[in-house]
Amino acid sequence: MSALLKFAQWLQFTTIPTELRGSWYVYPVVLSLHLVFIAIFGGMIFLTNLRLLGLGLRRYSIGDVINQLRWPKRIGFLLVFTCGALLASSKAEEYYYNAFFWAKMSLLLLVFVHGLVFRSSLYRNTEALDKLPSTPGVVKLAAALSLLLWTGVAICGRGIGYIEPPVDKLHAALFH
Amino acid sequence: MFIENPLNSSELIFPTLEVCHILGFTVTLGTIAAVDFRVLGLGLRRQKVADLARDLAPWTLAGLVSLLLSGPLMFSSDPDMYYLNRAFQLKMVCLLAAIVFHYTAHRKMVGSDKPGASAKLLASLSLMLWAGVIFGGIFIGFA
Repeated sequence: MSALLKFAQWLQFTTIPTELRGSWYVYPVVLSLHLVFIAIFGGMIFLTNLRLLGLGLRRYSIGDVINQLRWPKRIGFLLVFTCGALLASSKAEEYYYNAFFWAKMSLLLLVFVHGLVFRSSLYRNTEALDKLPSTPGVVKLAAALSLLLWTGVAICGRGIGYIEPPVDKLHAALFH
Repeated sequence: MFIENPLNSSELIFPTLEVCHILGFTVTLGTIAAVDFRVLGLGLRRQKVADLARDLAPWTLAGLVSLLLSGPLMFSSDPDMYYLNRAFQLKMVCLLAAIVFHYTAHRKMVGSDKPGASAKLLASLSLMLWAGVIFGGIFIGFA
């Protein structure tokens, strides 16, 4: 048995994940918060990419949008991630077998890579970008990729719920 | 006699509508929240509330249109279940209140040159109403 599966089995029986499974309303409350924070955080990503693609907020500079939203985005991501981690921990063993969960995690890794790749040309380069007469293609490419990656994350996130858990292999079940 | 809903003919249609719904409310609620947080003094503080609200209004509406297309289509896949579902009923009340509020008191608040002291209250109410819609939507599957 893999160490990861062992970890998942241990994790789901720790206090908080067990509490999440044991009540009919705690799980959907955390799930609702996950989605509320997704809307707020995803909205900020949408606004940024809208500006980068030149489709909206054009009266504001790229620097204005990116720099003012940097910390709100970090806080937003932390909130989304915390709720997501709570949800996943309560079904850790089940998610170990869920292809959409792993696809979602892989896409999130790519989002991180995306941020690193375009860090020097875009996210830490706003002053130079705002002096140019038009937005360079590489910036628009970064924006389009960001929208594509996050849409993929949303698709995989919803997909998780559509995979039937391998009941015979599981050691924990949700309340409902 | 029953007429078969073509939506139920493929397993992929419903989850596709769900994803459209998720992306739609991210755009709608995301753009509204950006304005509300601005009113509360967070986020895009260098922009004027009225400018931001005016610039984002078409996107808020575009998201709302995609929600009001995908939502009723999902409803049509199993109307009896939704109609009797308490969470769905609550969601519809919140949604109606949120939309009416958004295009009346909220619009007046963000459109004024100097949003008054009540503006922060209205912005908070807006965020809570829309969050209520999401809670109602999620609880449909758990009620």
